[in-house]
Amino acid sequence: MKLRLIASAVLAAASLTAAPIVAAEYPDRPVSLMVSYGAGGATDFQARIVTMVAGNEEYLGQPMVIINKPGAGGRVGWNWFASEADSDGYTMGAYNIPHFIAQSIEGGVKYSAESFEPIANWGADPAVVVVGADSPYNTIEELVGFATENPGKVTLSGAGLYVGHHIAALQIEKATGAKMAYIPTKGGGAAAMKAVIAGDVIAGVNNLSDAFRAREAGNVKILAVADLERSDFLPDVPTLKEAGFDVDNSSVNFRGVMVPKGTDPAIIEKLAATVPQMFENARVAKQMQAGGSPMHIMTRDEVLEMWAAREETLQDLLAGLK
Amino acid sequence: MEFLQYFGGVFEPTSFLLLIGGTIGGLILGATPGLSPTMAVALLIPFTFQLAPTQGLILLGAAYTSTVAGGAVSAILLRIPGAPANIATALDGNAMAVQGQGAKALHISFLSSGIGGVIGVFLLIFLTPVLAKWALLFGPSHLFWMAILGVTVIGSLDSKSFVKGLLSGCLGLWLSMIGYDDIQGAQRFIFHDALTGGVSIITALIGIFAIPQVIEMLAVGRQRQDIAAVTVSKQPFLESVKLTLSSVKSLSIGTVIGSFIGLIPGVGGQIAGLLAYDQTKKFSKNPESFGQGNPQGVIAAESANNAMVGPSLVPLLTLSIPGSPTAAVLLGGLLIHGIFPGGDLFDNHPEVIWTFINSMLIGQILMVVFGIWVAGYAAKVAQVPKAIMASAVLVLAVFGAYSVQQSMGDVYVMFVLGVAMYFLEKFGFSAAPLVLGLILGPIAEANFIQGSMIANAMNGPFEYFMMGSLNLFLIVLVLASIAWSFVTSRKEAKNAAAAGDA
Amino acid sequence: MNDLTSPISSEQSNDASRLGYLVPAILILGLASIVAWLSYTQEPASAFLFPRLISTVMLLLALWNFFRAAAGKSKVGKGLTRTTWMRILPGIMLMAAFIFFAAKYLGFYVASTGVFFLLYSGYDPASHLSPKSWVKRIVVTIVFMGVVYALFTLLLKVQTPRGIFL
Repeated sequence: MKLRLIASAVLAAASLTAAPIVAAEYPDRPVSLMVSYGAGGATDFQARIVTMVAGNEEYLGQPMVIINKPGAGGRVGWNWFASEADSDGYTMGAYNIPHFIAQSIEGGVKYSAESFEPIANWGADPAVVVVGADSPYNTIEELVGFATENPGKVTLSGAGLYVGHHIAALQIEKATGAKMAYIPTKGGGAAAMKAVIAGDVIAGVNNLSDAFRAREAGNVKILAVADLERSDFLPDVPTLKEAGFDVDNSSVNFRGVMVPKGTDPAIIEKLAATVPQMFENARVAKQMQAGGSPMHIMTRDEVLEMWAAREETLQDLLAGLK
Repeated sequence: MEFLQYFGGVFEPTSFLLLIGGTIGGLILGATPGLSPTMAVALLIPFTFQLAPTQGLILLGAAYTSTVAGGAVSAILLRIPGAPANIATALDGNAMAVQGQGAKALHISFLSSGIGGVIGVFLLIFLTPVLAKWALLFGPSHLFWMAILGVTVIGSLDSKSFVKGLLSGCLGLWLSMIGYDDIQGAQRFIFHDALTGGVSIITALIGIFAIPQVIEMLAVGRQRQDIAAVTVSKQPFLESVKLTLSSVKSLSIGTVIGSFIGLIPGVGGQIAGLLAYDQTKKFSKNPESFGQGNPQGVIAAESANNAMVGPSLVPLLTLSIPGSPTAAVLLGGLLIHGIFPGGDLFDNHPEVIWTFINSMLIGQILMVVFGIWVAGYAAKVAQVPKAIMASAVLVLAVFGAYSVQQSMGDVYVMFVLGVAMYFLEKFGFSAAPLVLGLILGPIAEANFIQGSMIANAMNGPFEYFMMGSLNLFLIVLVLASIAWSFVTSRKEAKNAAAAGDA
Repeated sequence: MNDLTSPISSEQSNDASRLGYLVPAILILGLASIVAWLSYTQEPASAFLFPRLISTVMLLLALWNFFRAAAGKSKVGKGLTRTTWMRILPGIMLMAAFIFFAAKYLGFYVASTGVFFLLYSGYDPASHLSPKSWVKRIVVTIVFMGVVYALFTLLLKVQTPRGIFL
């Protein structure tokens, strides 16, 4: 009894002074970064690059360690992050937009945009439409033309349900009025790309970075980009808008880091100030460029705005499709 | 023979030091419970940022080869398979170690790994263009039949009873469906929060193999006589070489199955070891000695899982398609140095890619050397008193299961599965079919669903799954495999009945 | 003819061992029934297509196994004796207490050190009275946990749960 009294007194005293001290000393041990996809996937790969200088004194001064919690298009990892991760600043998570917002709208998960506090954004990877190198279709118009004449016959592979690829496919179907069969694969973008190259499906939606590489290797043709502007990596490929289909950038895969709701505001502030600088590090930029991964650095305020905007457009899109 | 001219690159001082470091590091990481080859290679990626492309790849190549073999060390000594590839190794290898023949088990495991591995890398060197086409042949319908073929092996794998073997397999298939359904995101059989992420294979492996063994050691109780019971026999190295080289049948079954299964994207290394083990057992004159410490079981399993390393890189290097999670991590290692795999990789960056392949070749040999060197000491683990061993395996199992995803839920799943497996084993159910079901379930289901979706957009499921020569060939194999298991189990039952009457 | 395998089963009374094998058969049958029932009642049906297939096969196999056990035909495996139960139960309870409670509330390292020491000491055949063997137990525990700490925390940077202690 006595012990408990003393303990609670100590705790109370600690909690009064804790916040500023915690923020000043934070971080004093390695910080984990949870990635909702498997090792070797695009998100994992980029997360490993952008966190490689975290140990430098001018950034966190402590290394960041990647933990992979793959499963069900990211639901497993984000569920864990929303419901079980400690909000002490030592557990951070990687987010993928529009994936987790679309999944929270569709339901059956323990998170929504309200469950997380963004820190900063590091990259943006638009979705593209690809066909195999020996496919008869050379432009997006030809593919859509075939799909319009043969409703439901065009098979379109993508990384899963309610991820960026699926959103892009839904938008394409809506804009063209052509019915297509979206085939979600297990095993992410790489498996979806394999299905296109091997001819298991007629076409596919995939990440720009992966498609760019596959085209360099002579395996695919890229027909269109689902973004507002053409990509620097693919200046010759038109956007879907240019081709006359009303598809915006809702499916662009934004990647960044976040912490669980309830994390000390002082820690969030500290992270929001240092993490974008860490992403801007010259070595990080060089490695990302070499790997063909487009960077797009955004601060916490910009990300908050982007999340809110995505939430709104996805609500409309998914409500219209259900 | 182009690869010969780049051998010099491997023996440059820095490169060779990296090769040695990668091999030793890989062996240690591979032997650490809970750390799969994929995670081990992913952990090394940041180290390659500082290195030149060739050197970075040497480090990764050496680590990949040796982690796969390192997994055999914990499988043999602790009965904790480092990765799905080492499950079959644990069956006979651990039995040997318990009998004091740990050094022999480790020797033959490293030797057959080395032999299988070198042959696999040679396939990669000489047959890459041919093999690339083979890798793409397998669409969803074929992968589905491949998985079913694997399932049919279940009844005969390490089991005394046909029904109980199949039932164990079904339990595994069911466990694999727990959690979020991977394609549609529906929640299935989530009885407890720890299960939302599903049953991860590495976690399950640790629980299913390590925990029953811990309990088994406790069942001995506080008896004095068990301390000195095990004499660790010294194993002359030459004798191990002789044994390995004379096991032509097991080696060739392992190498052939390992290389060809390793090629198929998405199925790959996980089941190569188990399938090779099962085939060797079927073709053996005394199949009942498997699981009791038969060296042939270790040789087949280990030659298969290292033979798969070379071919599993074929789809990656030629088509930029990573055929396995580890290959995907290696892809990352190539990308950060601005090297894009694809058909012209061998023309554009010959020095990088050939040095990488050569380093795997030399890495295999170094791995055998280091492996053999530590085998004698490592085998002494069998002499550790049971009370220490049980406590040590338990703590390692808990740390290993936790470190996979840094999740307490995984530790709960690991322990519950382990305790359940102990009791199941006592009543004739077995671990190997259960694990095979756990691995194959997701492959079978995902390809079945995907195949059906594609089929519905085309000419219907019947044509998609049942027509075409490759489909028919696989279906015939499935039927033959079922018939074989059934006939053998009948025969065994008859023999057992005859023995019982006497 | 083959006397090596038979003595154990012939020693026990036939009915008792038949019952011993019937219990697990019933448990498995129960599990299979629950899985099948869940598979056929849960929605969405498309996500439960494969579970339905598997659970049906599992139910049939469990029935087959049950009838074999009832007919006394399924005596594979060694079964469990009372002595074995008495020996393993304290160990299993200790491990369960460690994994489900101590690891989270006391902290991973304190709990692991504790369970290693207790499990080792409890099952160590050496005397529980001699101080020398206690010293040995403490030393072994500290050395082993040091190796675990070096491997998982220093080398792999695994962040273990911290309870009220480390």
